[in-house]
Amino acid sequence: MSHSVELSGIGMTFGTTRAVADVNFKVEPGEFFSILGPSGCGKTTILRMIAGFIHPTEGTVRIGGEDMAGRGPNQRPTAMIFQSLALFPLMPVWENIAFGLEARGVGKAERRKKADDLLRLIALEGYGDRMPGELSGGQRQRVAIARALAVEPGVLLLDEPLSALDLKLRQHMRAELRALQKRTGVTFIYITHDQSEALAMSDRVAVMSAGVLQQVATPRELYENPATPFVARFVGETNAIKGRVTASEGGIVTLDTPMGALRGRGTAQAGQGATLFVRPEALIPGGGTLAAQIDRVDFEGAFALVHGRLPDGSALTASVGSTDLARAPAPGAEASFGFAPEHAVVLADA
Amino acid sequence: MIQRAFFIFYLACFAVFMFAPLLVMGAAAFNTSRFPTVIPWQGTTLDWFRAMWADAAMWHALWTSAIIAVAVVVVALPIGTAAALVLTSLHARARSFAYAVMVSPLLTPGVVIGIATLILWRQVGVGGGLALIVVAQVSFISCYVMLMVIARLQRFDRTQEEAALGLGASRGMVFRRVLLPFLRPALVAAGGLAVLQSIENYNTTLFVRGFETPLTVFIATKVRTGLTPAVNALALVMIAAAVIGAIIWEIRRRAR
Repeated sequence: MSHSVELSGIGMTFGTTRAVADVNFKVEPGEFFSILGPSGCGKTTILRMIAGFIHPTEGTVRIGGEDMAGRGPNQRPTAMIFQSLALFPLMPVWENIAFGLEARGVGKAERRKKADDLLRLIALEGYGDRMPGELSGGQRQRVAIARALAVEPGVLLLDEPLSALDLKLRQHMRAELRALQKRTGVTFIYITHDQSEALAMSDRVAVMSAGVLQQVATPRELYENPATPFVARFVGETNAIKGRVTASEGGIVTLDTPMGALRGRGTAQAGQGATLFVRPEALIPGGGTLAAQIDRVDFEGAFALVHGRLPDGSALTASVGSTDLARAPAPGAEASFGFAPEHAVVLADA
Repeated sequence: MIQRAFFIFYLACFAVFMFAPLLVMGAAAFNTSRFPTVIPWQGTTLDWFRAMWADAAMWHALWTSAIIAVAVVVVALPIGTAAALVLTSLHARARSFAYAVMVSPLLTPGVVIGIATLILWRQVGVGGGLALIVVAQVSFISCYVMLMVIARLQRFDRTQEEAALGLGASRGMVFRRVLLPFLRPALVAAGGLAVLQSIENYNTTLFVRGFETPLTVFIATKVRTGLTPAVNALALVMIAAAVIGAIIWEIRRRAR
């Protein structure tokens, strides 16, 4: 069974610090939903409010349509996986996994059976009598997941659970988490500061900055149509060129910049200060308005990153596919780049 | 070289300072002399062990001390643990105030605690006796318990508590299944310390004892009325018991 989670007008103030302001979003049942943002942006605060460890100073949290006000963490259909995992070190693995069942008064034989079932699910069959300290990082990770799933939560909350793992294991666990979510159909709310993690796993992503929700969208939408300059900069690599809007027509905005008139998609009004964002892979070397002095070319395997400098001193990064390497300019050379207006986004400055 | 010589000299002094009194005391238990001494050595005997074995008053005093010690542990462990839990959940300023209040019995002279306890309970008609000895001793022994539990609690990962609550556990279950097992080593150690503190206490106990005579009071009385090496024999037996107990404990710990 999976539940929806709805936040309306959520705000949280600690003393005089406003950690979260007016956050609204709805997570659908069975969705893999990520909250992405730099550390200190309020994403963990939001997760803890959904779990019931803290209570919002404004707004309501609804889980499965029910208002959660006044309900503690042990009275909500949620389970949380902590960054530190927080396994109980003095209990064997199977008791860890069955802890939530013990809290619900399930008999010992049935608890053991359920724990063994879950151990099979996470491919740790036969590890039930080990202590958590005897497991590797990845195994402990899976035990924490099994422990949360044992209570059959409607919503699983994950607070950067992969951040302590090394890169290889992290990528493996990503795929495993995603598969597990599909198999169980439980609503996942996943906190991370790692954008590639959020983009790769999620159905939808909420991007936060300084306690304010910036955008809620599918990973592709976030990447192609960032709603705010923060999202454009935070999600993926981008080039930002500042200017002033001279014309806005049919969803295409013309921007007057030190490099001349540039065009991109947007709704900014004429006269507004705005920034044009264009992804490195949208820049085409040869024939364009952006003339750059090339500093260096970094070969990354599948592509090469060309780092240059525009006449106004700002940096420019273009990526060239490795099959196109012949077209990549050499370090020290002058090169010009162009882009199609539909591959650039213009956002009004705040 | 000189440094090394000095170090060995220091170590020797340290050992002599620590153990010489115990050696003399232990040896005196085997001297025929009617007064506990090793000089002059008037002949070797086991009579004092026999005298000790036959001394009903002494056994009664030991029994009284044991009852008090058990009662002190039973009362001081929960009080000290509760104080530690409250203290670690308080915020900075309230914490240092509460800490000062709770630790103050340790800094108060034992005599003062004894007299104060007696005066206070007299007001409500409770005189000296077993109950009051326990009350007076608990008032400072629970501080030791608290300090030891706090030291352990500081290493407790609070997210474990949250994890347990998040899995649906009640507060009681979190305490019983997560916190208590974690605190167990500290509680065992604190219990041991409480027993020792209780049995060896004299100055506080003296004022609240009423007509009871725990071991320390018994021995002190003997010093005035005529001490015999039977007390040395008892001391030697207690030391031996403590050493053997410690060895067994250590062997069992290593076996685990």
